[in-house]
Amino acid sequence: MEIFLQLVYSGIALGMIYAVIAFGYQLTFQTSDTLNFGQGDALMLGAMVGLTLVNRGINYWLMLPIVIAFGLVQGAVVERIGVAPAIKIKSEFGWIMSTIALGIIFKNVAENIWGRDDLKFPSPLPESPIKFLGANVLPMELLVVVGAIVMMLAVEFFNRKTIYGKAVVATFNDRDAAKLMGINTGLVITFSYALSSATAGFAGALIAPLTLTGATMGAVLGLKAFAVAIIGGLTSGLGIIVGGIILGVAETTTGFYLSTGYKDVPGLVLLLLVLAFKPSGLFGKSAIKKV
Amino acid sequence: MNSKSLITGVAGAALLAAFPLITGNPYYIHMVGTIMIYAILLFGLDIVVGYTGQVSLGHAGLFGVGSYTAGVLFLKLGAPLWLIIPASIGVTAGFGALLALPALRVTGPYLAMVTLAFGTIIQILINEMDFLTEGPLGIKVPKPSIGGFQLDEHGFYWMVLALMVISLVVVDRILKSQLGRAFEALRGSPVASDCMGVSVYRYKVYAFVISAGFAGLAGCLYAYSEQYISPNTYNFELTVLFLLAVIMGGRKTRSGAMLGAAIIVLLPKLLDDLEMFRQVATVLAVLMAVGAVVGILRKMTTLRQMALPVVGTIALAGFSFWLESITDWRLSIFGLMILFVVYYLQDGIVGFAISLFVRKGVRKNVQAMADVDAAKDAIMQAANTGHIEPGQDLLTATGILMQFGGLKAINQVDLHIRRGTIHGLIGPNGSGKSTMMNVLTGIYVPTAGSISFAGSSVVGRTSSDIALSGIARTFQNVQLFGEMTALQNVQVGLHHTFASNLVDVSLHSPRYKREEAASVARGLGLINFVGLGDLAQEEARNLPYGKQRLLEIARALALDPQLLLLDEPAAGLTAPDIKELVTIIRKIRDHGITVILIEHHMDVVMSICDQVSVLDFGQKIAEGKPAEVQADEKVIEAYLGGTAT
Amino acid sequence: MLTIKNLEAGYGKVQVLHGISIDVPKGKVVTLIGSNGAGKTTTMRAISGMIKPTAGEIVLNGKRIDNLESYTIAKLGLAHSPEGRRVFATMTVTDNLILGAFARLTGSRPKGDVAGDLERALELFPRLKERRLQLAGTLSGGEQQMLAMARAVMLNPEVVLLDEPSMGLAPILVEEVFRIIEDLKSRGVTMLLVEQFAAAALKVADYGYVLENGRISVHGDASKLRDDPAVRAAYLGGGH
Repeated sequence: MEIFLQLVYSGIALGMIYAVIAFGYQLTFQTSDTLNFGQGDALMLGAMVGLTLVNRGINYWLMLPIVIAFGLVQGAVVERIGVAPAIKIKSEFGWIMSTIALGIIFKNVAENIWGRDDLKFPSPLPESPIKFLGANVLPMELLVVVGAIVMMLAVEFFNRKTIYGKAVVATFNDRDAAKLMGINTGLVITFSYALSSATAGFAGALIAPLTLTGATMGAVLGLKAFAVAIIGGLTSGLGIIVGGIILGVAETTTGFYLSTGYKDVPGLVLLLLVLAFKPSGLFGKSAIKKV
Repeated sequence: MNSKSLITGVAGAALLAAFPLITGNPYYIHMVGTIMIYAILLFGLDIVVGYTGQVSLGHAGLFGVGSYTAGVLFLKLGAPLWLIIPASIGVTAGFGALLALPALRVTGPYLAMVTLAFGTIIQILINEMDFLTEGPLGIKVPKPSIGGFQLDEHGFYWMVLALMVISLVVVDRILKSQLGRAFEALRGSPVASDCMGVSVYRYKVYAFVISAGFAGLAGCLYAYSEQYISPNTYNFELTVLFLLAVIMGGRKTRSGAMLGAAIIVLLPKLLDDLEMFRQVATVLAVLMAVGAVVGILRKMTTLRQMALPVVGTIALAGFSFWLESITDWRLSIFGLMILFVVYYLQDGIVGFAISLFVRKGVRKNVQAMADVDAAKDAIMQAANTGHIEPGQDLLTATGILMQFGGLKAINQVDLHIRRGTIHGLIGPNGSGKSTMMNVLTGIYVPTAGSISFAGSSVVGRTSSDIALSGIARTFQNVQLFGEMTALQNVQVGLHHTFASNLVDVSLHSPRYKREEAASVARGLGLINFVGLGDLAQEEARNLPYGKQRLLEIARALALDPQLLLLDEPAAGLTAPDIKELVTIIRKIRDHGITVILIEHHMDVVMSICDQVSVLDFGQKIAEGKPAEVQADEKVIEAYLGGTAT
Repeated sequence: MLTIKNLEAGYGKVQVLHGISIDVPKGKVVTLIGSNGAGKTTTMRAISGMIKPTAGEIVLNGKRIDNLESYTIAKLGLAHSPEGRRVFATMTVTDNLILGAFARLTGSRPKGDVAGDLERALELFPRLKERRLQLAGTLSGGEQQMLAMARAVMLNPEVVLLDEPSMGLAPILVEEVFRIIEDLKSRGVTMLLVEQFAAAALKVADYGYVLENGRISVHGDASKLRDDPAVRAAYLGGGH
């Protein structure tokens, strides 16, 4: 029982990471009807840049805002090069392929700079587990959950309380009407991509001490986070947290009770099932076709 | 196939066959063999990517299924070649069907994710199920033997060549047949496909299954070619390479697939040889700069558009001189190539070459028009269904309620459409007319109410089913299959006249040839009927707007409908076009086809409708002869508002 | 104030407007009426920049705006209450109104007293005041229409475009909407009103243009147009 509870705790931490990445997917999808297929690689870059900074002696806590800033720039670059031109020529194929291409390029660059092997990320918190409700939990895992929630709350605050945040939400709701208010929706889209990569990078720096950090860590993470985003219906914030936790726990338990090789399978199968039966997600609303 | 393609094809095949004899080097023979194997897969991938227009990130997985079916059958059962090849094709096709299931209801990025998940799962399964696949250890597969005779390098090469040629012919025949048109229709407009009787779900599955079959064949041959297979070959990098090959070579062409295969096989080898890469990169930069200057001077493009590629290729050349080894940067090069192709070379190299050298409209491969007699009687007299006499109700809608959330778009509407009449449906903006249209054709399922057409119920049936039972329609926003010609658009409407299946199509059986010829004749007849005679070979998207609307009508008539629904056919038409339209609608009625007409042009409605129903706020407020309705107080108020003078 | 000269516009291959000219003087209410499909909404969209005109000129206060993005045009003081209302459904009534003043709050237009204007807007639209914290998507059609108009006015605009404010509304709500338009008129707001329902529009407007198949068929003082048979013909066909 104790092991199971431990798996649940790890699963929740993992799930919050998925939720944060999924949050990024939601952001860009809501403002522009596009997704970043390289979202997982944005996470990886955050982790790698964070690792380099920490290895050079920069304090972990100081590193986090730097990684966020880096993510903002990286996201803006992806949007300007890969997405904005595709939106202009109204080509869905265009942004799908170019975000895939950019993801590949980032991964390759990371491989060349940091090598192909997995690296150890020094943990800023003590590595000895704490007892919580009868099972062990790593302090880092707690940090991940707290960090993820804080970040999502911060974005919510921004959206609700600042005029620029409201402008972003207005763009979600109705792009044309937002323009009529004087809102430059092109910039809003760039910003949403910047924010999306920043949150992914932040998530990467958070989870890096818990798992192996390497150039390949992003790929499957991005895919599974997409499953979580779909479950949440691409529009519901609560949905992705619930979805993330379900997936995280399913994975840690599969990995332990079945075999680690199979641990990625539940997420992928979940994605296929949801898309097969309820593409609008468990929490989302179905779109009405207009002819 | 026309004679030019046939000659090129035979010459090409002969050249390829002679290749091993010209160069004795097994390295090159193996390399060309690999190109041909990839080409087989790409022919199939093109169906999904080029024709149905979806991104598939799972084909490396299907490729893996093909290889491992061969490997496992060989390892566990010692199966012979003649069993392994069909088994690989069959098992992979099965996986293709499995992949199609979650992919049915999604499209675009969702579908891409589904295929990616699928491909990833396959790779994991191959890696983990080592009791079957030997896992990471891989399987050794020697060259096969036919009838006891062991194939050597040359023999295997010729077998691959033969299979590639067969694949090419089969794929070509499929894509030029009604199946190919159905696939393209899926991309052009899924809604229109369903309403023309081409079920989007069904043809999506076919596209994936056929595509998987080819991937399976390629995978099986790959296993024999490499003589060793292991799970990490069939990864994301390979699947992206396949996509790059299709889009860079040129989608919707067989030569594009072959060119793409050559590029992705040769490119890594090029990148391994740094010296050669430097030379190639420099040449490329120079060519790009020269081409840009020429293009700008000839006003074919602008400095702004060319700036990025020119700077990019020069940077690439410079980069290559700075680096010690390019191999590690392979993936970045691929990524850059994808970016380049997506924005600058949308039709691939072959597409680009064609647009430079071939005049527009000539390249469509259709039989010589001169010797085809357009069917005189293209519009069949609408058959008497269910013994409904003219004047009796053909379609009865009772108590229709269509609710979206809190909004009642249609609120308790009854409609009686009598056979042989033109029935107008009018009303102010937002009154529910188009919604009614969508309910009648199965695009929306009504919240309540019943619809009876020629004796059977319509509610709950799929759009494609309804279309095939005799209700055809046109759309308010033109939904033509843009990249196909006018004739091909109408031929999609004629899809229901084909009983030929995959085998008939591949073998060009007499039945298929008959049906195809009949569809061309009938299609031309319908095109002549709406007055588009000389535009049959034009791509639908290039037609002027008025002609596009007429083409939609021709396509709808191809369904041999009892009932034709026209949704604002006069919108955006000029006065002479409208006159022509009215004549055509009258002729349609004279052939016994009943018409429901939604229109805002009152003149049109008044002049041809026998009966008019008026909707306002989702309710029927008046019904009767046109003149009665025009003078009705309630109608005037609905349109003009308030107390009109 | 707002002048449109020989405007041509359309969607892709369809040309909807074939050269129309409209003049909206300061402080006046001008209405553009016509049957559905005549091109009224296309005209509005071309003015506010939602679509690009293919020919012709649009001048606002002496500055040409026909080649500008819609968010730039908004910053120049042209407010558009679009067809179908298009309120921000997941945001509150108050937030919708605040967004109407986006350009003022972010420095593109003189700021003035946003909080004060917000209160005044709510006074003008009592139904909205009752529902100030309600999500806009849950409002009824009539309430959304009022919100869209109030939101447009929050820009402190030079001119307001009202696109089919009565569409989809029950007659009693249509009356209320037009009462509000009268009130705005009495405060000197310059308006271009597009309406399918000619009667109500001509009652409130000073001047009217009738659009038929993308061309102005007749125009004149609103009071004179009310009795003109050409108006009825434009909608219900038959005999010009």
